[in-house]
Amino acid sequence: MSGGNGQPSADTAGERQAEPARIALLETLQNDDKTWEKLAPRYGVTNPDPPWKVSLYATCECLAAGAALPALERRHAEDQLGETVYSGTPGPEQQLLALAHIMLSRGLLSEEDLARRMDAVRSRLEAC
Amino acid sequence: MQHSHDHTDGDRDHGRHEHPAAPMVNEITDFEVLEIAVRELAIEKGLFTAEDHQKFTEWAEQIGPAAGSRLVAKAWSDPAYKTRVLTDAVAACHEIGIDWTEPTGSGTPSDYMNLRVLEDTPTVHHVIVCTLCSCYPRPLLGHSPYWYRSPNYRRRLIRWPRQVLTEFGLSLPPEVEVRVEDSNQKCRFMVLPMRPEGSGSWTEKQLAEIVTRDCMIGVALPRTGRTSDDVRPVHKARRPVAHEEQHAETGQ
Repeated sequence: MSGGNGQPSADTAGERQAEPARIALLETLQNDDKTWEKLAPRYGVTNPDPPWKVSLYATCECLAAGAALPALERRHAEDQLGETVYSGTPGPEQQLLALAHIMLSRGLLSEEDLARRMDAVRSRLEAC
Repeated sequence: MQHSHDHTDGDRDHGRHEHPAAPMVNEITDFEVLEIAVRELAIEKGLFTAEDHQKFTEWAEQIGPAAGSRLVAKAWSDPAYKTRVLTDAVAACHEIGIDWTEPTGSGTPSDYMNLRVLEDTPTVHHVIVCTLCSCYPRPLLGHSPYWYRSPNYRRRLIRWPRQVLTEFGLSLPPEVEVRVEDSNQKCRFMVLPMRPEGSGSWTEKQLAEIVTRDCMIGVALPRTGRTSDDVRPVHKARRPVAHEEQHAETGQ
């Protein structure tokens, strides 16, 4: 896995945070042209949020409820990643990339498993 | 895209008609795929169950600022209810059908069941923030907007509240004190704004329409004719600071 430690909590007070290591798989997904902000108006959709945002929220809450990823630790890592690695990606997409990054960094998921599953999910969604 | 269809199975409510289908994004993005993949793997690894995920999803789909709008409108219309809102906000929420114990019986991991409603007066204006993360009264207001979650808003509001409010289009006279209430992980806050002039004869339903999310955060004021919030940009923070430093600067 190419990911690094996504936790900012080890930083000392007032110290500038080092940029977290980048994760190759997630780097390839940062396509600004495919964010909801860009896609929705292209299709005349007025919903300000992508349909998957609610599910992302539920995933975050479930991870916190089961103590796999406490909410405060996730939010701190989201802040750090949002200001560094994913600073060019807007709201919900940034939150999603950050969550995946944190889970990979903590070994909750492996990059290989995630890549494989993404291929499988895409094939399923595109099947006729 | 339009489509038409017949209902010939005795559906009395529909009959023959045409209506446009709601537009939808007709392509599969990597982001959609990533969200599904992360969720499925997490369930397979036993980090949570599909049932738990469904429970949180269903809850999250039905929350929104309309609940807070109803609470404010009722408080404006019923002085006894307003007293209950200010003394025991969680119980007062129950009266309008908002149960802070949902969806688990003890709330969500991110929403402490302790709410304080802050009443604006002619001389005091409240605005809420969470400098630590993005605590927000979700059972009443729904999901927080991204600008509220942004480090930029969280860091700057406590330092320069009047200037930040002005950026939102809210200029307050100097004689009005601005109080920034910082969520402290154990308490959620919501603003009870002042009822605007010209709404004296309005029903609760009419009043609720002008109580937007931004009014209950405190970055806007309700006024007759204003029924929706502007889209706010999310500014980047140019000089990121460590959380420890940021929190030490925060006052209650």
